Amino acid sequence: MKNCDQFRELIEAYALGALDPEERSQLEAHLETGCPDCAKAVEEARWLVCQLAYTAPEAAPSDMLKGRLMQTVRAEAQSQAKPRVIPAKSVIPSWLWVGVAALLVFSIYSAWNARRLHDEILQANNRAATLEGERRKIEQQLALEKRKAMILMDPSSVKISPAGHDAQGLSLEAKWNSQLGVVVMGERIPMPAEHHVLQLWFIPKDPKAKPMPSMMSWPDANGKFVMLVSNPPESMDNTKALAITEEPEGGSAWPTSTPRWVAGVS
Amino acid sequence: MFLAAFTSSSPREVSLDATLLSRLLQKDVSAFEQLYDRHSRLVYGLVLRILQQASTSEEVVQDVFLQLWRNADQYDSSRGPFVPWLCTMARNRALDHLRLKSERQRRREDQPDELPSVVVAPDYEKALDEKRRAERVRALMASLTPQQKKAIELAYFEGLSHSEIAATLKKPLGTVKSWIRNGLLRLKEGLQATT
Repeated sequence: MKNCDQFRELIEAYALGALDPEERSQLEAHLETGCPDCAKAVEEARWLVCQLAYTAPEAAPSDMLKGRLMQTVRAEAQSQAKPRVIPAKSVIPSWLWVGVAALLVFSIYSAWNARRLHDEILQANNRAATLEGERRKIEQQLALEKRKAMILMDPSSVKISPAGHDAQGLSLEAKWNSQLGVVVMGERIPMPAEHHVLQLWFIPKDPKAKPMPSMMSWPDANGKFVMLVSNPPESMDNTKALAITEEPEGGSAWPTSTPRWVAGVS
Repeated sequence: MFLAAFTSSSPREVSLDATLLSRLLQKDVSAFEQLYDRHSRLVYGLVLRILQQASTSEEVVQDVFLQLWRNADQYDSSRGPFVPWLCTMARNRALDHLRLKSERQRRREDQPDELPSVVVAPDYEKALDEKRRAERVRALMASLTPQQKKAIELAYFEGLSHSEIAATLKKPLGTVKSWIRNGLLRLKEGLQATT
């Protein structure tokens, strides 16, 4: 570690720029400690070194150098002296621009909000229509169930069963009420073939008359089958039997397959 | 005091420089021109001594004076006279240029007829003052030993360090350090004695 006197020996060379990096770093670190004597010595040494400039032979630069310099300096002075171009003040006051901007933002928000409300109303209407459809469907289902129950419980209803053993294994039976209609129902009824449906036929007594097509339906997933005919023939007297065939989807005007269930009426 | 002895200009000249610099801060072109006329010979001579090439030296001098024009506020008059500051800036720029030139190994020999001639300053009194100062410093430098003078010149005009000077002169490092320190101290004593 050098002391102050040792550093003082470096100061002239430091001012001259001749110190090697290590010594220069050491001296600068010492100067950063704030040593007043060394700081003053450095200042004096710098003045001393400055005097060496006079040992260079004085020489005159060319007139062209002065010409170039003065040309540059005059051009820069003129450009800085030019008044700044202040943009013309707008005839529209700033508060009005702020107002217009606020109005524009409000309009955009209003349009967006109106669109959002419109979409919400449409969605609500769709939900209401769906619920109304479901309500009507339930009411119709309820009315049918009510009518079916009335047919089944009404003492005037006539039970119609197959005359003998059903070879197809369809366990169906029907009840006919001349006022309320006909109910055909059964359990464990197998599904018809793909794209086919079970269709009910009223077989007239008149051999020349053709079978009268009626309702079409499928058993549910559990094999339960219920069919309600609200508008059967007015009198059972002209009907010989009820029959169910398997027909293509949409039904047929004439039976196209062997009846899977037949029950005599009268 | 010692520092007062080293102010490179007479009080009248210092005052004139200060006035011109205050006008320069206001972007007074005339003030800039006067400062250039007063000090360009000293600055150019110094740069030319370092770079040894007229055209490159003029480029450096142009940079120095444009720096002065554009950043005159960087000069703090309370820290000392203007001329040493200007010379320090010129020397630093010239040495930077010299090192860059050396790194690129593209230093060229200058043509003898490109060397500028010594000029006579238009301001006789001022020129006389500067001339006297230059003569005093040169006389003191001439009184040093050739080794001291050479070592100091290598450091000041070529920007070499102690180690580089020792290698250049093929002398021990400690010897070079002594030459430089003793030479500068002798110069300092001589300046103190003649003021």
